[in-house]
Amino acid sequence: MLDAPLLVADDLSLSYGETRALDSASVQVHAGEVLALMGPSGSGKSTLMHCLAGILAPDSGTVTYDGRDVTTMSDVERSALRRTEFGFVFQFGQLVPELTCLENVALPLRMTGTRRREAERVATGWLERLEVGDVAAKRPGEASGGQGQRVAVARALVTRPRVVFADEPTGALDSLNGERVMQLLVAAARDTGAAVVLVTHEARVAAYSDGEAVVRDGRVRQAELAR
Amino acid sequence: MTATAIPRTGAGPTRPPHRPRPALAQWAADLALGVRLSVSGGRAGWVRLALIAAGIGLGVTMLLGAATAPAVVAAQQARVDDRSAPLWVPPEDAMAAGPDTVLTEVVRSQFRGSDIEGVLVHAEGDEAPLPPGVERLPGPGEVVLSPALAELMASNGADALRGRWGEAIGTIGPEGLRGPGELTFYAGSDHLSVEELASRTDRFGGVEPADADPDPALLFLAVVATVVLLLPVAIFVTSAVRFGGEARDRRLAALRLVGADARMTRRVAAGETLTEAVLGLAVGGLFFGALRLVLPRVVSVFPGDLRPVPGLVALVVVLVPVAAVVVTMSAMQRVVVEPLGVVRRSGDRRRRLWWRLVLPVIGLVLLAPLFGGRGASSFSELEQVTVPAGMGLLLLGVALLLPWLVEASVRHLGGGGGGVAWQLSVRRLQLDSGTSVRAVSGIAVSVAGLLALNGIVAGLESGAADVTERSATEFQAEIYGTDGDPRWEQLADVRGVREITMTSTVQTTDPATGATVWIDIAECAALAVDTEVGDCADGDVFAAAPTNGTVPTAGTTVDLGEPGSAQAASTWTVPDALTTVPTVTGMMASPEGEPARFFITPGALEGVAPTTDSSTLVALDPAVPDAMDHVRTAAAQIDASTHVDPVLTEGLAPILADIRQALVAGTAALLLLIGASLLVNVVEQMRERRQLLAALLAFGVRRRTLSASVLLQLAVPVVLGLALAAVTGTGLSTLLQSGMEVPVQLDWAGIGTTSGVAALVVMLTTAASLPLLWRLMRPEGLRAE
Repeated sequence: MLDAPLLVADDLSLSYGETRALDSASVQVHAGEVLALMGPSGSGKSTLMHCLAGILAPDSGTVTYDGRDVTTMSDVERSALRRTEFGFVFQFGQLVPELTCLENVALPLRMTGTRRREAERVATGWLERLEVGDVAAKRPGEASGGQGQRVAVARALVTRPRVVFADEPTGALDSLNGERVMQLLVAAARDTGAAVVLVTHEARVAAYSDGEAVVRDGRVRQAELAR
Repeated sequence: MTATAIPRTGAGPTRPPHRPRPALAQWAADLALGVRLSVSGGRAGWVRLALIAAGIGLGVTMLLGAATAPAVVAAQQARVDDRSAPLWVPPEDAMAAGPDTVLTEVVRSQFRGSDIEGVLVHAEGDEAPLPPGVERLPGPGEVVLSPALAELMASNGADALRGRWGEAIGTIGPEGLRGPGELTFYAGSDHLSVEELASRTDRFGGVEPADADPDPALLFLAVVATVVLLLPVAIFVTSAVRFGGEARDRRLAALRLVGADARMTRRVAAGETLTEAVLGLAVGGLFFGALRLVLPRVVSVFPGDLRPVPGLVALVVVLVPVAAVVVTMSAMQRVVVEPLGVVRRSGDRRRRLWWRLVLPVIGLVLLAPLFGGRGASSFSELEQVTVPAGMGLLLLGVALLLPWLVEASVRHLGGGGGGVAWQLSVRRLQLDSGTSVRAVSGIAVSVAGLLALNGIVAGLESGAADVTERSATEFQAEIYGTDGDPRWEQLADVRGVREITMTSTVQTTDPATGATVWIDIAECAALAVDTEVGDCADGDVFAAAPTNGTVPTAGTTVDLGEPGSAQAASTWTVPDALTTVPTVTGMMASPEGEPARFFITPGALEGVAPTTDSSTLVALDPAVPDAMDHVRTAAAQIDASTHVDPVLTEGLAPILADIRQALVAGTAALLLLIGASLLVNVVEQMRERRQLLAALLAFGVRRRTLSASVLLQLAVPVVLGLALAAVTGTGLSTLLQSGMEVPVQLDWAGIGTTSGVAALVVMLTTAASLPLLWRLMRPEGLRAE
């Protein structure tokens, strides 16, 4: 018997104008699970992830995180959730170009009130853990693509979130770098007990997951967890 | 599914405890983050910050300059007040002479077109007061000069000026000067008299200044110029704040992703803007400091006078950052910064016209006093405030209406009709014309304001010409009050003088009607100065009818002077044979219009000739340089209180020429500012779209096509902006001309020049941005990293 799911999307529908991006989509994520959302381009997998993360509000349906309805939360509450409970990695790191890599990683901690010295100490640990300690003083634009993604992973994990959302995290990397980023992301997530919602269309990336949900035309088919 | 084997590497650093900050501390932290973001960012970030700071700094410099003007005027006026002597009073009202009194008389002169104003002084005792900056009162044949006048006299080629008022015995100190470049002097004289034009006083200063109130038309022009020149500066400052807006939006989206809520994002943005504004203030302070060093070399102002009014400085220091934050917040109202990026709210929403019309309509209402053609001199105190305010609102209306006009116009432009460049630019403008319009609105407001100003100046010039027009004759100089004194015949021997002749002008009355009649008595050539005498011989008489009525009929005997005057005993009878000449305008006009005038040659007076109220006309040899100034010097040596006037007086023309020069300088500075703003905007847009540009190049779009599309993206809003500016500026100019009681006329040359220069600025901006465009179009631009 599995634990109660940590994150649940139930019957989500969302349209962009005439285009139906999600059509009664439901999915569950358990604590510590790595779930791959798979599907072809335009199938709605990124939209589903954004709804799960509280970035987008669905037209109908609910998203429940740890028993709380995310869809009815205010912007401030959802922002707080992203600050404290969630972490994000995107195809292009979405790092703040003006800050150094160290400052980028420390940023989520500083936003939750941690003092700079302490935040940067923790951030340094994560950069080293992700094997990019040498780019700490560089700005994102001065690091390579693979290094930038690892910095983004460090930033996603620095608050020890309970869920990490990763949208095509290796999409802009060569296979070697992609492999290494996935290894580090999943290893770190497992070590911290974080669940990972991984959006990808590559089977090689999905291979790092515990289970997968296939999104097609906005509908979701989720396979049972193979635990 | 089986999970791929992942090496375990440990749990990683622990997370520090979550300590929620008090609200104030959170505010401070968010603002501090904004500050941090604005000063980070490597070379690109510094360039962006430097551009914003320079942009705001230029605006602040102009604002501080404007804040300094009242202080300069006040300081100069205070020194002028301190040296002023009392106005002339009738002899019976003059104070008694004593050991502590001095006689003074203000005299005016010129050298090569530069005005020189001085004071003749005659100490009546040992305790005579000294004017500020003067150590000893000059005696007869002595003069104390201002440093600028002394320098001018000592310069090469100033022979015609040297010795004009006597031997220089010293210079006037700064405390006695309006400014370092002032051309002034105190000359000693031994024939001043309160019966003539001299005043007696026992002190300098503390009396009503001799200067009359400034011409209301010029005062109004100054207010209009201030509004016109400062408004684009304000617009420029607000658009400078928005340089790099898209990069900022992306930055804020990244913050949203890591948990910043919308309010935190706004505070971070405010922190960024505040830093930029404060840095801009500092840069503006530096620029202004540099300006203070340079300005005294260009205009006549003491460095110590260039102290901005503290209240106005405080206003600039407070308003610039506040305005910057308000502009940023207002710009953020139109976008939703979300974790995934920025959504522009205006994308599918058309700009509305109605609220954009509110300000210009209020402006027109405030300008209502001008509609009736009433003069600026008749405005009430309230109207003197509301009319310039109305003008400011109308000009602001140009900036508000332009985005709507551009959007409405490009909506109807078919992108498919032209070439690829046209299509790219039109589609881009249809998608988002805001960035281009912001850059252009400064130009449009400036052009509208400058057209209005040029129109006023042109109207004033034409009005001035109407008043001062006289016939160009063989005589070029006129000296009033020579009154038959034989000493003036010496002028015939002065270098550069071909001929002199005496003329008399007397005022009398028509015994039949009591109307004023003016009689000019001179040789034919001298009469030609004021009227068209045509074929003229000694013994001829010419008559010019008054505006209302007729000239005295033949046989009417008139006194050659006012009753009781020295000439009243002489009479002259209007002959049967006289030639009618056109009414002479402007010279002797009274509220009733032009009076009747007779122009009489000496032969027609039958030996009766008045010897007072006469003047001397001088014909100059154009081949002799500075001939007019040689005459001035000779005249001053005969009688320092006389004034040599050019026959063709220039009226307001020299002042207007100065104003035109100032306008040209102001326009140049403004367009430079706006050109810089345009360039920054274009560069910014290109950087934002570097991948797109590289992609277009990758599938074969030619460089010149993209260059043309950049030009068109600016040219379309500029053409529309200039059209709107031409309509507004010309309309405003017409209203202002009517309000200043000057002839209404359109300054087509001004419209053409100002619009042409503005268009040139656009072309140059485009040209300056092309190297960057070509660099960005390299295939490397396709790289995401």
